[in-house]
Amino acid sequence: MGDIAFLLIIFFLVCSEASKDKSDLAVDLPYSEHVQKQKTTVVARVALDQAGQIYFDGIKVDNAKEVEGGVRTLLTNTVADEQRHVQFKCDKSQPKEKFEPILQAIAEAGGIIEAVGEKSEK
Amino acid sequence: MASKRHIKEKKNRDLAIPTDSFSDIAFLLIIYFILATTLTRVRSITADLPSGEKASQAQPDKTSIVNLRGSEIFFNDKKTSMEELNERLAALKLGELDGSKRVIMLESSRGTPYDNYFQALAAISANDGVVAIVQGEDK
Repeated sequence: MGDIAFLLIIFFLVCSEASKDKSDLAVDLPYSEHVQKQKTTVVARVALDQAGQIYFDGIKVDNAKEVEGGVRTLLTNTVADEQRHVQFKCDKSQPKEKFEPILQAIAEAGGIIEAVGEKSEK
Repeated sequence: MASKRHIKEKKNRDLAIPTDSFSDIAFLLIIYFILATTLTRVRSITADLPSGEKASQAQPDKTSIVNLRGSEIFFNDKKTSMEELNERLAALKLGELDGSKRVIMLESSRGTPYDNYFQALAAISANDGVVAIVQGEDK
């Protein structure tokens, strides 16, 4: 019994990814027919909630510059494309003035944007 | 002699690590991992926005441009719908082109909601386009 339990632990240790995502964020996601489940691992999670507050890996930040600095730090010495994915979760009601600087900050830091959305029917 | 051996065996038995509670600890750890693990994968679109120096002048002559003005969408200055945009982007067959020929410029007016922007971004990315954000003067 103990052996099986320890095998299960090893399985979870190898396969799991500890959640850095703040699931309690007030974010109403946009819809698109093109969204699909991604298999890539993200290096960072950026979110912009309904109130216009920016989060970097679950921590509140003041502006897009801080996001750029954070992503740049994480991507130092990163060469492979698979290691450059940055998840971006944004409330669908946010105006361009709020989200575009963040998208540009991620791109400037060398990140590939994984924009999160909900699947809509055609 | 026999009693001496008996004492020695008893001593060895006492030194053994008790493993009875190991399975309990293991199951507690399993419960922790089950609660802390993210098993669900979110749905998203992948958009590779090229980074680089800001161009002082846009080059709209050959590059297609998607304009978002509030809830309206324009493709190469012609008003269109999201479905039509998808069809027109598919017709460009961007996947067969290379490098800068795959670039689609994305311009949006002040106040454009992320909902519309996301749909345009998704359409371009789904058709193998590379999105170049055009920064307006209304910043």
